[in-house]
Amino acid sequence: MMLKKKSLTDLFLQNATYVMFGAVVLYFGVQQTSFLMPDSMANIVKQASFIGIAAIGMTFVLLTAGIDLSVGSVMYVAPLIAGLLMQALDLPPTMGLFIAIAVGGVLGALNAFFIVVLRIVPFIATLSSLFLFRGFGTWLTSSKQFDFADEFRAFGLSSLFHIPLPIWMFALVLILAHYMLSHTGFGRQVYALGNSQEGARKAGLKTASIQARCYMMCSACAALSGYMLISQIGRLDAGFGEGSEFDVIAAAVLGGVSLFGGVGSVFNAAVGAILIQTVKLGLVFTGVNLYAQPIMQGFIIFLAVLVDGIRDKRTTALLKRTIRPIQ
Amino acid sequence: MKSLKYTMAAAILTTAGLLSSGSAHAAKICFAFQDLETEFWVAGHKAITETLKASNHEVLESNANEDANKQLEQVKDCIAQNVDGIIVIPQDGESAVTIVKESQAADIPIAVFNRPPTDTSKGIVVVADNKTIAEQAVDYVTAEALAKAPPDKKLNAIIIVGDLGDPNAVGRKDGFYASINKNKDRFNVIEVASKWDAATALANLEAAVTANPQVDLLFTSSDFLFPTIRSVFEPRGMWKKRGEEGHVLMAGLDGDKTACQLIKEGFVDATGVQDLFFEADSAMNAILAAIEAKETQPNKIMPDPGFALTQANLGTDEMRMWGCKLLAGK
Repeated sequence: MMLKKKSLTDLFLQNATYVMFGAVVLYFGVQQTSFLMPDSMANIVKQASFIGIAAIGMTFVLLTAGIDLSVGSVMYVAPLIAGLLMQALDLPPTMGLFIAIAVGGVLGALNAFFIVVLRIVPFIATLSSLFLFRGFGTWLTSSKQFDFADEFRAFGLSSLFHIPLPIWMFALVLILAHYMLSHTGFGRQVYALGNSQEGARKAGLKTASIQARCYMMCSACAALSGYMLISQIGRLDAGFGEGSEFDVIAAAVLGGVSLFGGVGSVFNAAVGAILIQTVKLGLVFTGVNLYAQPIMQGFIIFLAVLVDGIRDKRTTALLKRTIRPIQ
Repeated sequence: MKSLKYTMAAAILTTAGLLSSGSAHAAKICFAFQDLETEFWVAGHKAITETLKASNHEVLESNANEDANKQLEQVKDCIAQNVDGIIVIPQDGESAVTIVKESQAADIPIAVFNRPPTDTSKGIVVVADNKTIAEQAVDYVTAEALAKAPPDKKLNAIIIVGDLGDPNAVGRKDGFYASINKNKDRFNVIEVASKWDAATALANLEAAVTANPQVDLLFTSSDFLFPTIRSVFEPRGMWKKRGEEGHVLMAGLDGDKTACQLIKEGFVDATGVQDLFFEADSAMNAILAAIEAKETQPNKIMPDPGFALTQANLGTDEMRMWGCKLLAGK
């Protein structure tokens, strides 16, 4: 009986993010039944897809025990450069998408250069690139809003089989990232590096190259996220993406990705992003007072992180008795 | 004869110009702004810096990138450089109080542009009457909405609220409610938070419209969110011009270029206008006058009454709106 109770607690803790997600959906659904309607659910996933895509990229970096604070600035500057090139060369939005991702990759490579070659601590390196990238974008626009062509917005608002494009992109990135982390040698190396950098190095892994690729992927995902989000609005303001890094990191951590590396999965990070968005939109849906919204939002996120913390402690205790990798 | 007139006029103007520029000494002005993320701030920044520089004043500019602490440090840095006066666009009302205090403690006159401190008794405070301007704009759309609707029908009104740490956002929200409360029983209000961020507004407005598909009128606390509103309304067939079936009555506030364009096209019905050039001139003139008079701690409020540009007065008042002037290239 005791054993059963213990395993039930473990089961709950292991699936804390999903349990929280279910509880939140149920709570808002009871408050207002239309919250559970397909339109509402689709809207939540669509709005979560932007932060979700960036959170998937962030997961790679967090798994290596690193951090990238520049994602908000990349979300701003990569679509901006793509937009300027699209305007100058009369390129279609699909081409702009690839340009934005490529720019993201280059910006990520710059971060990787600071961290891997110059050996600057990731927090400091990406904090400075946060200002560097945004400053570059502000210089390019002189703080003025940048208006994209109408076809760009039509691209962003398009859908396939009645499913909006951002959701497709989110799903595609999620599948690719999940495959990469779970079914390739590179994925195993990322986990190994996050668990012990020294151990990974001694095992003959090219830790610098692994780290660099993770930062490049993180920025490429942030660029894609920014591009998709801007394609919904059609106008890029100088303040776009500011503070998004916190939402992105929160989504990944809420999904169970450890800030200390080696633990987590992109799938859970995606669920974390959807959970955050569910809370945010649920509060709007049920008409909660604007002053109370951040308090409730903070409380629910705190609760989720608290449960996650307890789970981590228990998992660490269990780890002492097992040799299985934890994801 | 004609050329003689022109020559004399030119000579008089040149002399007057020389005399006026000679009377005021070139001052060193610190211009600390929180960011330039909207057309309003960009235009305000341009008006202040270009006018000061054209009058041979030295301008030390600093952008705080929406960081209140950073702005305080930048102002302290200006004080250390012995500037003659400070013009500040603060990040929020609370930090503005600290900045004004810091400046006055150093005996340097300071003017706060457009975003007022929570305590307006200190410093030169140039501020739009956000509440009245918002109320005027919302009055126009509520009157139209009520005129169109059957007398027993309750109408859905959405307000997109700005950052609640910004007194301007709070003033605009109060103005909206001042108007709505005149017919309280006829409106069901849906509040949407934007935190002055287009992406936040997009997500929250989508949720609000999904929950309440019947929208009768909308008020956005800033015109810069109109493209975001369009992104939400257009796929739902709600982005229509006046006179078209499904048109949602819309009002904004700021008076920017986009709003001017949208009012002319008939998508937007009214917008509250802050007289940007009046505010910029007031801030500059007040600070220069204080420097000239060696007044180190001037305290006064300079209100910008503003007005609402609506479909009804568009023909006559269009060029009073700074956004329409910019749109016309003036």
